[in-house]
Amino acid sequence: MDIIKRKRAQAVARIISKGYLSTKRVYVGMATCEIAAGSKEVMDIFRQAIANGLTDVYLSQKGCAGRCNLEPTVEVVEEGKIPYKYGKVTPQRAKDIIEKHLKKGEVIREWLI
Amino acid sequence: MPKIQFKITLCDAPSCIHKHSKQIRQALDKELEKQGLKEKVSIHLSGCLGMCAKGPIMIVNPGYVMYGNLTENDVPEIVQAHLKHNKPVARLVIGEDHLYNRFFRIFGDVDFFGKQMRIALRNCGIIDPENIDDYLSLRGYEALAKALTEMTPEQVVAEIKKSGLRGRGGAGFPTGMKWEFTAKQPGPEKYVICNADEGDPGAFMDRSAIEGDPHTVIEGMIIGGYAIGASKGIIYIRAEYPLAIKRLEKAIAAARENGFLGTNILGSNFSYDIEIRLGAGAFVCGEETALIHSIEGSRGMPRPRPPFPSVSGLFGKPTLINNVETWANIPVILLDGGAWFAGIGTATSKGTKVFALAGKVRNTGLVEVPMGTTLREIVFDIGGGIPNDRKFKAIQTGGPSGGCLPEQYLDTPIDYESLAKAGSIMGSGGMIVIDEDSCMVNLARFFIEFTQDESCGKCTPCREGTKRMLEILTRITEGKGQPGDIEKLERLGTMIKKSSLCGLGQSAPNPVLSTIKNFREEYEEHIYQKKCRAGVCSSLLSYTINDNCVGCGACKRVCPVDAIEGTRKEKHRIDQNKCIKCGQCYQTCKFSAITRA
Repeated sequence: MDIIKRKRAQAVARIISKGYLSTKRVYVGMATCEIAAGSKEVMDIFRQAIANGLTDVYLSQKGCAGRCNLEPTVEVVEEGKIPYKYGKVTPQRAKDIIEKHLKKGEVIREWLI
Repeated sequence: MPKIQFKITLCDAPSCIHKHSKQIRQALDKELEKQGLKEKVSIHLSGCLGMCAKGPIMIVNPGYVMYGNLTENDVPEIVQAHLKHNKPVARLVIGEDHLYNRFFRIFGDVDFFGKQMRIALRNCGIIDPENIDDYLSLRGYEALAKALTEMTPEQVVAEIKKSGLRGRGGAGFPTGMKWEFTAKQPGPEKYVICNADEGDPGAFMDRSAIEGDPHTVIEGMIIGGYAIGASKGIIYIRAEYPLAIKRLEKAIAAARENGFLGTNILGSNFSYDIEIRLGAGAFVCGEETALIHSIEGSRGMPRPRPPFPSVSGLFGKPTLINNVETWANIPVILLDGGAWFAGIGTATSKGTKVFALAGKVRNTGLVEVPMGTTLREIVFDIGGGIPNDRKFKAIQTGGPSGGCLPEQYLDTPIDYESLAKAGSIMGSGGMIVIDEDSCMVNLARFFIEFTQDESCGKCTPCREGTKRMLEILTRITEGKGQPGDIEKLERLGTMIKKSSLCGLGQSAPNPVLSTIKNFREEYEEHIYQKKCRAGVCSSLLSYTINDNCVGCGACKRVCPVDAIEGTRKEKHRIDQNKCIKCGQCYQTCKFSAITRA
């Protein structure tokens, strides 16, 4: 039991060291269904943005949440706010989400689920 | 319209209603009105949130603040402090580290998720499936540690028995009993198998569960191995799920690295390992004895039971086979307790069930609901109803082994028994919504075509019978149906069900028999009036040109077989001998001059 508690603490520490406590956490759905809908390209856009100097963002993939007809989905989570869930995210929309939401904090309401 | 600032979710399950959740709703409405917040707060009702002991439950988003043990007298205080001044009422907040429903924090305010309760899918769509740290941080492998250090194998089996969990592959055999049988068999060589051979057309629960959270399946399997005394686990998954396989491999490797698999797991004297076996995607290999044959390297064909796999399974050794979703439930049962799990659901079916909701419904997707949720709630509340204002016609559950239920069964609560009583089955979780644009005869034909194709050929009734049924159904959809065909189908179907060895044959006629039972008039129309009311069976349609025709020639240009003739600005006509009934002229005509009958 102690082993597992220690392991969990280590795991949490590793996740935090990857930047989990950033102001914004971005989750991109990456199950077979979402990849088929184009989430790989979307993920690449986010990765690239971070490589190009987008900071204070924690990027992670996730499995299928079950919202099939709106895939690919992207969630932007900020502490203390209702998480924003974008549906049908195309590479173009991903770029807009980065420019408007992540950089300037403007939520793009018409794409929310 | 003023912006919604808070979303409130109120538990609307029987036990909370019993504790006056309805009165709380009224008090809330009144208080919001009084304090002038009505426009800023929206109220949603949810199914059972699984905290019946602390009911009634109310969740306020954003922030996912959960209030429990509420009475009407608490409402004004919550409205005043929390909803008006954004200061949660600490006295009433219940904070518990539950495993289930974690998705609520992120998705709780979307109606699609509101009535759901997620146990098996608790981490799907929330964690990174390829990172064991994410799983560990959400109490991952804690259930395993608890089993290994605090419980004997007998106690683990007893806990599973207490939970009332039943096999999620479709047949619904009590999981605890299966574990007990296998545990009682003499060892030392025993096997644990995870059946991930998901074959129903339109079903993708297992794939999503593995892709979204592979570790929970692995953890469940290790606990199963500990409980029955096995040292080897095998995941049988079809090769056409490459991403799921990749994530499983990665997860198994990470589990080994962390000492959850291998020798002396977590310092105990229990050793166990898991390997993956790939299936070629034969539907019959979802049947447990056929699956075992396939792993052994022989042809995937079922054999008679008994002996059941729990006595003589893989390589003749006692074997515990469970479905992906069953395994995914195990860690939660151990951590939150069998008694808690048994508190969810109906009298005979406990816990939740994952469904792949597809077909003519607005929100297609993966849903996990407590047993006892009605079909209507799934189709209309979660699914959002039928798109394009079409009418609901039927719901098909259980894939090619299940049946079609028409509107009068919509209020059936979902559990193994009530679905069987209505003439369908729970199945592994495929759920297809059918609207008035679908032809039931053609649908039955599709499923029989599938099972006919997938029949392994061992038993004559299944091999030949499904073939004959397909021939008759094809004949009916082509307008060549004969009087007596319906009775013939019924006789054949009943016989195949009675005389086949395995579940494939025993259930293959279900789609046909249930559509005959519930939609007999459609069959009769096809046979006697040569009419398909849904306009699906193309052979039964005919296209003619009426007097609206202005002779524009548009139909003539699109016709792929040159069946339309006529001079410009004069009425055209269709040569019925040449027409292949593709319907292109019907779609092209701008003057409604083509009649489809």
